[in-house]
Amino acid sequence: SFPQRKLDFSKSKEACLNYVQDAMLQKQWERAAEFLACYVEFLEKDFSRESVGPAEIIWRMGAEILCHHPQSSIREFNSFMEQMKTLGFKRYLKVCLEHSFHLMCNGLMDEAYQNLSMAESWRFGEHATTQVKEKKLIQAYRGLLDYFNWCKQKNILLEHGQDGFEDLSVEQEMHSCFRKAAVNLQEIIKIPGVWDLFVKCYVDLLEFYGDHNEARQVLNEYAYNSKFPANPNAHVYLYQFLKRHGESKKTLISALKILHDIVPSHELMIDFNTMLQKSKKSKKRRLGLEVIFGVLDYAGWKENVKAWSCLARQIKQIIISEKHLEWIKEEWNPRKDWWPAFHFSRYLAKRNWQENESLSYAKATVAGILLGKDCKYFKHVLHQGCKAQVKRFRMLKRFVNKHNHACLRISG
Amino acid sequence: MEFPAALFPSYFATGPPQEEGGPALAAGWGEHDQVLEAGPGRREVRPRLSPPRSGRRCSGTSAVPASPCLLPTGYWVTSLEPEDILYRGVLYKKLKTGKSTATLDFTKQLSHFFVDHPEDAFGSMGQLLHQNFFLGNSQLRRRARNSSIRMTALMEEIDRLEARHGCPQQHLVPRLRWFSHICRDWLFEVPLRLLAERLHEELQLQWASLLFDDSCTGGALAWLPSKDLRTGCLVYPGRQAMNHLYFQDVVLKDLPRAQASPAEFELNGRIRQVAAARLDGEDFVGVRSDYHCGVWRVPGRMGAAPTPLQVIQTDVPASCLTVSPHLPGELAVCTQSGAIYLWSVEMGLQRLRHDTKTMFFRDHSPWRWSDFTAHPRVLSCADRTGLQCLDARAPEKCHFDLFKVGQEAGCQQGERVVLPMYLGTAHPSQHLVTTQFSVYVLDERLPMVPVLKWAHMMKDPPLFSHLTPGGSGRSHKVLLGASRTQELILLQYQGKRWGLRGGGLSACQLAGPPQKLHNIMGCLQHLPTQLPHHHHLLQQRLGAPAAGLATALQEDGPRESLLVFQLSEARDIFYQRLIHEIVEPPAPILMDEAVAAPGSSPLFETTAALRYRRWLKDFSKGHGEHPQHTRPSIFSQKRIFTRRELDMSAGLSTLHQQARQQLRQAMQEGGLIQRWDTPPPQPSLPEFLEPPGGRDTLSARLTTAWSEGWCQWSEEKSSYSMAQRQKALRERRRRQKRARGRRSLSASFTSSHTYQSELSELSDGAPLPPPLSPAALPRETANSPPPAAVLDEPLLSSQSLHCRGIPKERRKTLRDYLSVCAEEPPESPEPLGSQASQACIPLSQS
Repeated sequence: SFPQRKLDFSKSKEACLNYVQDAMLQKQWERAAEFLACYVEFLEKDFSRESVGPAEIIWRMGAEILCHHPQSSIREFNSFMEQMKTLGFKRYLKVCLEHSFHLMCNGLMDEAYQNLSMAESWRFGEHATTQVKEKKLIQAYRGLLDYFNWCKQKNILLEHGQDGFEDLSVEQEMHSCFRKAAVNLQEIIKIPGVWDLFVKCYVDLLEFYGDHNEARQVLNEYAYNSKFPANPNAHVYLYQFLKRHGESKKTLISALKILHDIVPSHELMIDFNTMLQKSKKSKKRRLGLEVIFGVLDYAGWKENVKAWSCLARQIKQIIISEKHLEWIKEEWNPRKDWWPAFHFSRYLAKRNWQENESLSYAKATVAGILLGKDCKYFKHVLHQGCKAQVKRFRMLKRFVNKHNHACLRISG
Repeated sequence: MEFPAALFPSYFATGPPQEEGGPALAAGWGEHDQVLEAGPGRREVRPRLSPPRSGRRCSGTSAVPASPCLLPTGYWVTSLEPEDILYRGVLYKKLKTGKSTATLDFTKQLSHFFVDHPEDAFGSMGQLLHQNFFLGNSQLRRRARNSSIRMTALMEEIDRLEARHGCPQQHLVPRLRWFSHICRDWLFEVPLRLLAERLHEELQLQWASLLFDDSCTGGALAWLPSKDLRTGCLVYPGRQAMNHLYFQDVVLKDLPRAQASPAEFELNGRIRQVAAARLDGEDFVGVRSDYHCGVWRVPGRMGAAPTPLQVIQTDVPASCLTVSPHLPGELAVCTQSGAIYLWSVEMGLQRLRHDTKTMFFRDHSPWRWSDFTAHPRVLSCADRTGLQCLDARAPEKCHFDLFKVGQEAGCQQGERVVLPMYLGTAHPSQHLVTTQFSVYVLDERLPMVPVLKWAHMMKDPPLFSHLTPGGSGRSHKVLLGASRTQELILLQYQGKRWGLRGGGLSACQLAGPPQKLHNIMGCLQHLPTQLPHHHHLLQQRLGAPAAGLATALQEDGPRESLLVFQLSEARDIFYQRLIHEIVEPPAPILMDEAVAAPGSSPLFETTAALRYRRWLKDFSKGHGEHPQHTRPSIFSQKRIFTRRELDMSAGLSTLHQQARQQLRQAMQEGGLIQRWDTPPPQPSLPEFLEPPGGRDTLSARLTTAWSEGWCQWSEEKSSYSMAQRQKALRERRRRQKRARGRRSLSASFTSSHTYQSELSELSDGAPLPPPLSPAALPRETANSPPPAAVLDEPLLSSQSLHCRGIPKERRKTLRDYLSVCAEEPPESPEPLGSQASQACIPLSQS
């Protein structure tokens, strides 16, 4: 009967699709291609046309297969994508964007640029919100390619400039690239999102042409606009910009302070700590201690020699000066129930000593001061260090013995 | 740890998810979505861009399926299947497509309860009344009639109702209605309404857990590697109730081999989850059952005994148990009441949060999860709507949102968190969040915005995941496993370093296309052919839902391979080996290895096959030992052979008897008649095969069964009997025509038997060959009485009954009785005999 046949037909169609999927997931691209061809035949014979699903399936699966198929070439991929673009206006921009991504990843920048320009000039009535977004992205990526062009011209010019030879046409082209890139890039970075790549390029352009105010404004907006996600990179870019332009310590510290509030485990915290230590204000030095303790809370910093040496040096300074012992105490109190197991176990003492002597030295210093000379970590490392006749370990032993009373005040 | 110098571009919006999602089957393919500079571009003249999914990579797969590793023999409790509780006729597949809603077979379950637990259902009333209910056939004496009633007729009615189950023209019997109306209020031990409510509740719970069972989230299998990566310890649940915990030392050579007998602990409930973490050279193993959680410590050296440390009990079932990778003896526990605890072996329990409501929007699921983060004092907590991070030092004040089902992560409508996992061993601040559609990699330092997203296209939501960190320059491997469909997907991702010139870390990228691994069920097709019922049992056993997942990294000289263990609910552990395959980098940036399934090393295949063979033997033996436990037996003598048939075959040739004896013996042992591993010597068929008409059907069938010619035989037989049947029908019609004149009164009484045989034919779904006149035949049988009834007609007609002095009200009973007797046909009714055997053949084959 007819309905039965229809059911069987759709069943085998589905089965065919499952075969394609299975073959793709097992990386059998040739097999997948054959099955996909079968599936297309199925679709041709199918007059029910219930949804837009199949077009998207063919686009997605076909593109993936062509990416991996041993016999496919970029030309075949291009013609496939061109066909896919005609399949529906709703997907046109998306397919264009994906096509140019593929070209970009294969190093075919010019073709990608053409593709993007074509997509940008495409008009079809009212745009849905997703299409507006896609259009903005297309524009931004075109801006990115303009920027790459600009870099190329700049390099040519710089090389030739050294020879004392100036080419006006190259310079002109470079400027036109700059204008196009700047116009295209500045659009997208106003919309909330993660635009690290575009912001970096745009700031680079602005800096080259000396428009520092605009650059600073863009970076400030990117870092501090609350509609944007809390992207640590935005703060890093701002900090690097400020540093490049020789801003005052105070500005740099305030920029890093905000980064510290968002990501206390960021790698710039070491710089932040060093900067704070050099400060004359005791409040800032206090903050520095807090920062370095905070950094070492995180598992990722557990074996970082730099961080441990920083902490060891600072604690030592405080102990020697016998001023602000309460700072250490304040930091140590909330940590004393879990730092010993986290940092100063006997197992870690053994391993650190075997793997990195400087690390074990710095950690032993901190352990000796914070936990006293009976601490397992301190005892093990010191024992090993004295056995190996390393001078600094003997000095460390003397130091801890000498300042035993201060250590007791902290741990007590 | 460093933060990537630049992230992939993406839009950021807040609010509930807007997207409807593309076709689920292809959602993860063909999309770059975004690209990023693949190196410090400024220094290069020609910048290179890379997508979040760096593609070009190839690797081989093989047809070798998962191989058995530790297979307990013997009986296992099959899990509930949709057919068990659904109203019959509703197919699960149809349900899945959403074309019809589930209809739970409530009445069947209730009647099961009454039959299986009569004491609980009617205990006291039954005792009080049993003297007043008379079940015999004789008339009640006058004196007894005052205090007791006859229930025989009622019982018969009930039996008849059972026989007519599913009939659209079911007549309600007034006597039954009357009885139930009178008794409904007082007969039951538990008030019927209450009982029904409870049962319905339970049924719905069972149905919900059939659709999606989250109690085993996390998986109940763990691998504790040793230092040299050649040995390790497998931790898994065992015994029929899955309430025994085993620590089995395993040596990884060509095959993983169990060494010595395992350490065994008996627990107080079914083990749902086994979680493990390595800390300071020791392993901490957390075990979760519904109301108990326990923690064990396993010393690093091989053969050292695990020591139980502590057990906690919860009032509400626990839904999560994770072991801290930072501090020894610390665990996170969640219960279904919405409470999250930090459990320290030394300090005891600390409640961090108690909230029955979900975090971001309302969702009915009581499931909660918690895991650790880069900061040892900060825990992540999750429900179906998203993830938050809590500071254990000040849980009320300090928390931030890590992931939310919404536009921030580009989620789809209806998407829910299924399994979060801390990826600490690969990168200290990364988390994996899987939903039923996608996998997300999140960085704590940039919450809400996933650093990697991929639609996994799995048919069932992934309940198990396992991370194998990549180490120096290698990609990290994440395995995702589903429970019901046993799917296994391998994903590789990485955050590479850009050279040594201080380039920094690149953003997270998927390395190569995802790969599907073999599942347990897949090995069925590689097994030797089995007898149909063994095949069915095997299928059931191998198709049991997966219950856990673990991987072991094995270093064997220069070759490095990954062993993937999969545990099923039938307690079987299967493994497969993935070998690293260094692929020549097609582009200078894309350099890392891909993973391939094992090549077809002959050793591997034979050893695996040997293991299978041994297991199969034990498997079939195990089923022989517990015949009372197996599924309702497929062969039922009562239904296949009538006594007469058996008697007739008694005095046959000695060869036949021999064959019968052997068949019986084989059936008793549950073994095979022919071994699958040796090519069977073909018995010479022509000697035994006689035309079916010459011998009785049973002996012919047995003979052919002996020589494996069943299907053919049944085909022949059925076509032969078709012809015979048609002949009989024609004959009957002729007789009917003759009889029509005098039989007009009794015609209506004889339908019950016809109906019965009709039903058994239909319900068996036997592939009957098409009758010669397809439209005419069924109508014929429905309208006219079968030959047996016609033969008895003079006896059954009410006039003749009246003549014999049988009272009017008993005539019907007698007629029924006689019609049942007629089911066992007298001497010559071939049509009926063949009909019966026809109906049996497909039964025994199914």
